[in-house]
Amino acid sequence: MLIGIPLENNKPDVRKPKDCAAEMSAYLDSVAKTRCKASFAKIFGYFAPRLRSYALKQMGNEAIAMELVQDTMSNVWQKAHLFNSEKGSPSTWIFTIARNIRFDMLRKLQNRKEDVCSDDLWPILCEQTADPKETSLEEKITLEQVGELFNELPLKQKAVIEAIYIDGKSQQEVADELCIPLGTVKSRTRLALQRLKDMLATHD
Amino acid sequence: MIKFHPTNEQLSQFADGLLGATEALMVSAHCDMCERCMAKVELYTDASAEIALPQSQDDDSVDFGSMMHNIMQEEPEEGIQLTPKSQIIELDGRTFEIPRTLTRYTKSMGNWSRLVGKLWQAPVDIGGETVANFIYMEKGGSVPEHTHRGSEMTLVINGEFSDGIADYDSGDFMIMDCNNQHTPSTNADEGCLVFSIVDKPLHFTSGWARLINPFSHLFFK
Ligand SMILES: [Zn+2]
Repeated sequence: MLIGIPLENNKPDVRKPKDCAAEMSAYLDSVAKTRCKASFAKIFGYFAPRLRSYALKQMGNEAIAMELVQDTMSNVWQKAHLFNSEKGSPSTWIFTIARNIRFDMLRKLQNRKEDVCSDDLWPILCEQTADPKETSLEEKITLEQVGELFNELPLKQKAVIEAIYIDGKSQQEVADELCIPLGTVKSRTRLALQRLKDMLATHD
Repeated sequence: MIKFHPTNEQLSQFADGLLGATEALMVSAHCDMCERCMAKVELYTDASAEIALPQSQDDDSVDFGSMMHNIMQEEPEEGIQLTPKSQIIELDGRTFEIPRTLTRYTKSMGNWSRLVGKLWQAPVDIGGETVANFIYMEKGGSVPEHTHRGSEMTLVINGEFSDGIADYDSGDFMIMDCNNQHTPSTNADEGCLVFSIVDKPLHFTSGWARLINPFSHLFFK
């Protein structure tokens, strides 16, 4: 499953971004929830060449353009959970990520000294304000419910959940212990909980 | 009521990320205060996304495969923490709500100092060649008629003032770069707080007018 995911740029997808919004939303959703590589490959195959055209036009330099594509798609992979289909289409979201990166890149290249960054102007990659769904999710899932489903979690997620929910450690303690950034602990926790929730949903 | 908005051209360029940093900052802060312009920016952004990401013309020579595989090795990441929607600052016993875009700068804001008469100023270090200030005019405050050069942007954060040319209210946004003369003043009870950026400090060279050098960029035209 994990190897040999074909990059689908052999037959260019000629659809306009708005014509495949629903499909791309669904892919983003599965990247967010299960880190689904096949879904990401679909998103990547559709958007990476388009982003490259955009970046080339904007930056006029192949190497810098590819850097812009890389940074943009990397954000899509790492932060897919921040996409909210109620707020806009996938193409708009991905375009705004690229626009922000371009803005910061260009300012760096031009050596501009003003302390203005894209996050101030367009805070698109920010965590949503305390999401009631997420807290209720944690409250709803008890260890009894989770039972053997817990063992089906990927190792990394399992380790984090075990430390937090069984050993009662704080997320910071877990981060220090595993020598990983706090953000990673938080993401793994969230992903694991989401996964457990999905498993519970299909279980009964 | 807001009467002075950025132009559609400015809003569209803002959506595309094509405005200069300080102009973008001002437009963004205006949009925090103006639903109408915020909605326009969203429309422009949607439209641009559709246009900016067309099907690529070329090209089989680009190998995206390794890029994609490298990306998929990366761990998920949290987003940035959401900045507070707005922030309150205090001056002389009054409180003012600062739009979200500008909240980060309130942390590095200098102390309020009283200039001549009923004018107060607090500098904001945004770096570069530009000079940014919060400026507060108490009720009955005014600046003697003066001229100045250079481009300056002003956003009314709270209150009203007039300058003999027009009346301005909270949220109003102006860019001026002429040499007109005017006499800004306010008679609003709550006075008037503005945020102002000039691209170059202005200098008066003679007589009493030198006194207003530090805030000459406040008023436009
Ligand atoms: Zn407006």
